[in-house]
Amino acid sequence: MLKGADIVLRCLRAEGVSLVFGYPGGAIMPLYDALEGSGVRHILTRHEQGAVFAAEGYARVTGDVGVAMATSGPGATNLVTGIADAKMDSVPLVCITGQVRSALIGTDAFQETDVFGVTLSLTKWSRLVRTIDEIPEAIAEGFYWARSGRPGPVVIDIPTDLLKAKKEFSGPVKFTPHARPADAKADGGFTDTIVALLQQASKPVALVGAGAKLSGAIPELRRLLDDLNIPTFATVHGLGAVPPQSPYYLGMVGMHGTRAANMALHETDLLLVFGARLDDRVTGDPTRFAPHARIIHFEIDPAQLDRVRPCDLPVIGNLADTIPAFQAELRRHAVPDFSGWRAVACGTERAELDPRGLVQPTIRFLDELFSRQPQDSVVLADVGQHQMWAAQRYRSSSPRGFITSGGLGAMGFALPAAIGVQLAKPDTCVLCVSGDGGFQMNIQELATVHRLGLPVKMVIIDNKYLGMVRQWQQLFYQRNYAETDLSDNPDFVEIAKAYKIHSFRLNEDAMREFPVSEDTGDQIDRFLRSAEPELLVFDCAPEANVFPMVPAGAALSEMLLEEESTQ
Amino acid sequence: MQIFHIRYRNTQGTLMRILNAASRRALDLPVVQAEPAEHDHHVTLTLDVNQKQVGQLYREWYSVADVIKVSSGAAHAAAWTAPHPPAGVAIEDSRKAARA
Repeated sequence: MLKGADIVLRCLRAEGVSLVFGYPGGAIMPLYDALEGSGVRHILTRHEQGAVFAAEGYARVTGDVGVAMATSGPGATNLVTGIADAKMDSVPLVCITGQVRSALIGTDAFQETDVFGVTLSLTKWSRLVRTIDEIPEAIAEGFYWARSGRPGPVVIDIPTDLLKAKKEFSGPVKFTPHARPADAKADGGFTDTIVALLQQASKPVALVGAGAKLSGAIPELRRLLDDLNIPTFATVHGLGAVPPQSPYYLGMVGMHGTRAANMALHETDLLLVFGARLDDRVTGDPTRFAPHARIIHFEIDPAQLDRVRPCDLPVIGNLADTIPAFQAELRRHAVPDFSGWRAVACGTERAELDPRGLVQPTIRFLDELFSRQPQDSVVLADVGQHQMWAAQRYRSSSPRGFITSGGLGAMGFALPAAIGVQLAKPDTCVLCVSGDGGFQMNIQELATVHRLGLPVKMVIIDNKYLGMVRQWQQLFYQRNYAETDLSDNPDFVEIAKAYKIHSFRLNEDAMREFPVSEDTGDQIDRFLRSAEPELLVFDCAPEANVFPMVPAGAALSEMLLEEESTQ
Repeated sequence: MQIFHIRYRNTQGTLMRILNAASRRALDLPVVQAEPAEHDHHVTLTLDVNQKQVGQLYREWYSVADVIKVSSGAAHAAAWTAPHPPAGVAIEDSRKAARA
């Protein structure tokens, strides 16, 4: 006879789970009571949102399912932002929540919330477990849906009495899904159509999104792109999928994308999309998105098609299957010569990401960090101006090397997510770049970093504003800086010291020399190679802005390249 | 107004997910009738939708774990009663459209 809590943990082990992130509380206490000796290591964060973001970080860097645990009521509701984040960014996540006793459900008992109802629209699948017998099936099915197709979040809510109850346990079960019409895949006939469209095109481009990484088809994609040799760019989640040194690569596309990428996307007559949702941050005004182009959309999830603009040819399926099929067909034909178009799109006139990068100290600082960090480092960016600067300057070809909350844009994501990444990759340099606003949203996780002795390298780009909102206020709200002033920020160096974490400050004056002084370079090198957690606070000009920028509702071709453009 | 018929396994939350696909688009749900149908369940919805929403709803309903089949009386939705393009016959439609 095993308790329900023991059965949960046995089933988690059967799914390959050895690490969970969570925060205890009343209804989930039986599960915590059973942890010791279960083979499942629990990481105590200091807030449930920290736990779910840490689980996401673990999942995003490994591709495995991340697991978060919380108690009923406020514990469960504190997971909600992370669940929404996982849904938007296709992160495999299983959240296990304790629920009040079965007999109390629906009575507004202490710490009761309808977590099943609250998370219904944010999850791929969820289950409020009703009997102890359902536990193995619920966990098996939950993990199946979290991993399958377009990955996503799952919630399994278990009343506390079921965690305490006992039953004979015959072992974990396997879930076998029913065949579904939605499982239809590309039949292979699409390949000759794409080749025909390619032969008709004069300005083809390729757009790479997160699906390239999630499918595990990076080698196949890179071989195909080398064959195509057409201007190529990436969404923020596609960064790292294409080696930045590739002669046809134009960097990030979209609201803060490069001038070259946005111009090529505006001018193209054939757009090949590999695993990207084409959300509004990528398209700008959808009615003027790639206005001359036919669109071929490689996508695993049919629900992502035609959301913003209809595509001409959907190719449904895993990129690991559809890309090789396309490439095989392509190699039976002569690839048209697009060198003239490529020379224009990738030419030096359009090439510089941001000419001001040479004089913008924060960008110079990020360049120094990224150029000095060990190979295969993982960069996490929180949400805001620093996120876009980091995305613009990221130069690695590590497919899972740049992690951020791209779809939901959840401030406070990076620090706890970095904890999950560092636990998954203990020997890797994990660089966590935050703003002063976002860092304070989960600043309590410094305690987790300290307790575990994780050598996370934390950077705060401190401009003493909610910088991205302030930038919009400057550009579009006549400089009415309503409630974005954070000039009374605490001293982050002293705060880190209170958590027993080494910390220091760099002023942007240190970046005005080029190359930077030996002393500054040594400071950065020591920081990046320290075996201990460290915090570096970079004092940034309060009104530094991110450019290029496509104003909300504008076409990609209407990007602002510098501040004067708006006045 | 369009009438949609959705066959689904009556597992926890499936009907709510079907309805949520409409409610999250701020669509009114003037008629909803759910009932058992042989081994499964069946829900009929009447919605005031445009053509783009029809396509989005079909795809979103099919992404719900226990939805089995979606059909509609809407003439412009005929393409979506088949498996998703480019599988099966729908690839031919896409191919023709792409070559047009």
